[in-house]
Amino acid sequence: MFTVFTIVLYAVSAVLVIWSIVEAIRNRPANTMLLGATALLLLLLIVQLVLSIATFGSTDGIDPLLYFGYVITAILVIGLAGFWAFAELSRWGPGVLAAAGLTVIVMIERLDQIWQ
Amino acid sequence: MKKRHEIASAKQDRAAKKSRSPFSAMHTGPGRALTAVYGVFALSATARAGYQVIREFDVAPVAYSLSVIAAVIYIVATICLVIGNRTSHRIAIASCLIEFAGVIVVGILSFTHPEDFANPSVWSSFGSGYGFIPLILPLVGLWWLALVGRRIRAA
Repeated sequence: MFTVFTIVLYAVSAVLVIWSIVEAIRNRPANTMLLGATALLLLLLIVQLVLSIATFGSTDGIDPLLYFGYVITAILVIGLAGFWAFAELSRWGPGVLAAAGLTVIVMIERLDQIWQ
Repeated sequence: MKKRHEIASAKQDRAAKKSRSPFSAMHTGPGRALTAVYGVFALSATARAGYQVIREFDVAPVAYSLSVIAAVIYIVATICLVIGNRTSHRIAIASCLIEFAGVIVVGILSFTHPEDFANPSVWSSFGSGYGFIPLILPLVGLWWLALVGRRIRAA
């Protein structure tokens, strides 16, 4: 994919997952900083969508339905989880974010495989 | 934002005062995380099943039909957990049981009849493509739903 950008995506998702787990263990609801990190990941995924639309012409053999299906599902997962964590004022707000973050890490890996 | 922390207890008090079905406990506490995981599975199974049906249904019609069924069951379970009343509690139990039976049956069939299950779906090889979460999830779901039911009967 876009090597550097993919590494950034992995790093941000991993930080989000670990941070969320820590907050869930500390029995805190998601604070503004954590919600900000979720928003950052959402923004990066949208950048990924735009970048891949822009460069899709230079690739061949990639099924757009498969690839963009993954990108859009990842955006939906993080968006919905972020909204949930905002509304949820218990430790399970970060809990939901951790589950969503793990899902997105797997999805980024799949995206990278599909792109190659 | 210390406030979010303070609002939390106030909000719980208000929620407790409202007359809600005791079964709404289904989606509180650890049930939240369960509902979220079900939501993720509903979303990703639907996306995958949709792709398989649109692009390559002829390759493995049996496996892909099962993918669609799996996706529908995850959606039903998610909605039931979110609604949280007596009826949805029962439907949720039923969908967890169907899910578990599905994982086991499809898991076995994918080893005995690999030609029909050549392409992966959520339930093939006991959900190994999804970190065996499809195998564990219905068990966790049943345990949680039984716990909620027992608490209500005890109350």
